[in-house]
Amino acid sequence: MISFHQVNKHYGNFHVLKNIDLHINQGEVVVVIGPSGSGKSTMVRCINRLETVTSGELLVDGVKVNDKNTDINKLRRNIGMVFQHFNLYPHKTVLENITLAPIKVLGVSQKEAEETALYYLEKVGIPDKVDKFPTQLSGGQQQRVAIARGLAMRPKIMLFDEPTSALDPETIGEVLDVMKKLAKEGMTMVVVTHEMGFAREVADRIVFMDQGRILEEATPKEFFENPREERARLFLSRILNH
Amino acid sequence: MIDFSILFEHGDMFLEGFWNTVQASLLALVGSFALGTIFAIFRISPIRPLNWIGTAYVEFVRNIPLILVVFLFFVGLPALGIVLSPFVAGTLGLTVYTAAFIAETIRAGIQAIPKGQMEAARSSGLTYNQAMRYIILPQAIKVVIPPMGNQFINLVKNSSVLGVIAGLDLMYFGDLISAETFVTFDVYIFVACFYLILTLPLSLLVGHLERRLAGSR
Repeated sequence: MISFHQVNKHYGNFHVLKNIDLHINQGEVVVVIGPSGSGKSTMVRCINRLETVTSGELLVDGVKVNDKNTDINKLRRNIGMVFQHFNLYPHKTVLENITLAPIKVLGVSQKEAEETALYYLEKVGIPDKVDKFPTQLSGGQQQRVAIARGLAMRPKIMLFDEPTSALDPETIGEVLDVMKKLAKEGMTMVVVTHEMGFAREVADRIVFMDQGRILEEATPKEFFENPREERARLFLSRILNH
Repeated sequence: MIDFSILFEHGDMFLEGFWNTVQASLLALVGSFALGTIFAIFRISPIRPLNWIGTAYVEFVRNIPLILVVFLFFVGLPALGIVLSPFVAGTLGLTVYTAAFIAETIRAGIQAIPKGQMEAARSSGLTYNQAMRYIILPQAIKVVIPPMGNQFINLVKNSSVLGVIAGLDLMYFGDLISAETFVTFDVYIFVACFYLILTLPLSLLVGHLERRLAGSR
């Protein structure tokens, strides 16, 4: 579904991604962890070309993401994205936030888009907030709206870029619950997170990154119980024992 | 005491000047808004050459005195064989000059919208133009209205530059009346009042909008 072949990315002189090789299958839940600045977010943002790669090949759903002839807008329809800071549209209601892209991009009718929106709002547990504006919601609720907004396009892949990092601790759970449900239903998910509990419980595979490289790929059981890499062991000891 | 008889004796001249100032201001307002929007879009466009054109326009025009911009149209164009009436030349100069400030105001408003808004819109499959239209511009307009109002107030005041090239505006007739009557102080007081009739309501409107927009969002 998603394949990185020897992908490199530079920001000027800064080598952000180094020889990334990664293959993610349909229905797989891959959790990317690692210290900040290790390139996790950048790697995920390459998948829908919010970042361009400098060299190497990146295929998503059989399409070359960085090919000049690729219709990126078409590819992006199939890839939902959830951001750390939600990025809901503050001048639009919850319903409008969710229906905008289906109407303008997929061309579905207003009525159908609203039905779909309600279905997904129900799914993320806040159907009563349809007519509210984003600022009237808590962080956790806003992030659930953002997830519903992504799902309303019926994407094949969902990307999560630190979806709980900006939330207050009490609302993290409600967002993770929605993501767990999604994973169980077979959605292909790539998740950048610092939530180790979630990673251990939900991930099919853990990808550990440091300094722009993928240092280790393993099942959660292997990774958390017996990490191969010294750097991964250090990372885990720092975040788990405090 | 102020001599009000001058106001009545030369009422027709005051009114003609006032009316021409209103016209020049309105024409320049519409023109500079359109032109300024275009150059603002140039400045933030992902297309490099458009950036350069936008930046060059803003930096040159903004850093030249208004009166020179007006002279460019009044004495520069005739040198090329294009002769405009003073009113038209003055209004054009005013439009071109104000557009540079409007462009900067609009650009700042668009860039004040967090980057995540564009990213969220684009990642949902919207095109750049759709994202601008449905997500960025509606938010930017709220940011931009108060400073834009101030630019329009400046525009009305700056229209007095027409007086220098016999543009038949309020300032021009003020000069004319004071030269005819040898009354200077009183005449210019009246001229100032006529400008205030235009600018004070604008100023109050801007203040009102500022308060209203501060509430939303």
